[in-house]
Amino acid sequence: MWQLGPRDEAALTSAWRTATPFPYVVLDGVVPTGDLMEVLDEEGVARYEADLFAFEASPPNGLPELRARFAEALAPLLSRVTGKQVTRADMRAFAYRPGHYLLPHTDHQEGLDRLLAYAYYLPSPEPPQGGELELFRCELAGGELVRTEHALKISPRPWRLVVFDVSDVSLHQVCEVLGGLRISLAGWFYA
Amino acid sequence: MSLDELLATRSAVIVPCEITARFTGFTRYALYDRGSYDFVDVPADPRIAALVEQVTGAKRRCVASRVIRLVPGDFILARHDSIPTGLEVVVDVSPAPAAAEVHYRQHGQVFFRMPCEPGTAALVPRNPTVSSNHTYLSKLHTAEVVRWICLFV
Repeated sequence: MWQLGPRDEAALTSAWRTATPFPYVVLDGVVPTGDLMEVLDEEGVARYEADLFAFEASPPNGLPELRARFAEALAPLLSRVTGKQVTRADMRAFAYRPGHYLLPHTDHQEGLDRLLAYAYYLPSPEPPQGGELELFRCELAGGELVRTEHALKISPRPWRLVVFDVSDVSLHQVCEVLGGLRISLAGWFYA
Repeated sequence: MSLDELLATRSAVIVPCEITARFTGFTRYALYDRGSYDFVDVPADPRIAALVEQVTGAKRRCVASRVIRLVPGDFILARHDSIPTGLEVVVDVSPAPAAAEVHYRQHGQVFFRMPCEPGTAALVPRNPTVSSNHTYLSKLHTAEVVRWICLFV
């Protein structure tokens, strides 16, 4: 489903190591060879809402074949670029409509063994306004976040893959979508 | 669930409340993994104590009094809740209704919602099994939410 083609791994590795506020890398032009949208059309989504989020998504633990192919294509490159040896990924499809959001959180939870987080943006019939991935700069003291500030926003461009570190300070959010439709696949890579 | 816990979830109420007030001197809270809002601590107000006595039939002592203000993009997550014990009173002193709520949860489930409707107050028994959050205020609309939150024991 994905053939990455030649990538400047040295540049990606350098980008990962020097990224602020925490390690991340952006890969554009990650275009599938098959009809990804057709596969996703068969996947139902439901509305999910809690204090932290409001969005539509496919069920957890779905898309088994797609996530296996995704990991097969990406894990070797990401292992070399990030220095984290990953082999498998989980995956959910997300649809953010106007008013949908995912508030700041780190993804880090003891016992879940998430090594890398990813968001992969797909073409939309109505390109979204808002919906950026926003990263925050954090300061820790005694294991607690004591200072947070906005650092940068990454636009959800079609066929863009954003991969970032999962740690106590990987604070990020999906900004509220103000118009259009933001479609993505997202999840985590594991050892 | 114990009987006390069950009664706590069943006795939360929203009542009409004519208390109005304007506040200044807000401080910005911005630890974004917990919340984003303005707050100011203010003296206890006898009008709110009178409301509590009228609704519950008992005199209670106010031990905390804080006003919070949310503007579009603001929120307070459940993980930021201090999990107090006592009777929490939330007086809505917003300038106008808005699409925003206070949610009270027990065992992860929302059991009580207070909409943003000026001229109302919520009285909610709090115990260690109850947490609350203030829902995200959308940037799609112009709005300001102001809530005067007091804890009585």
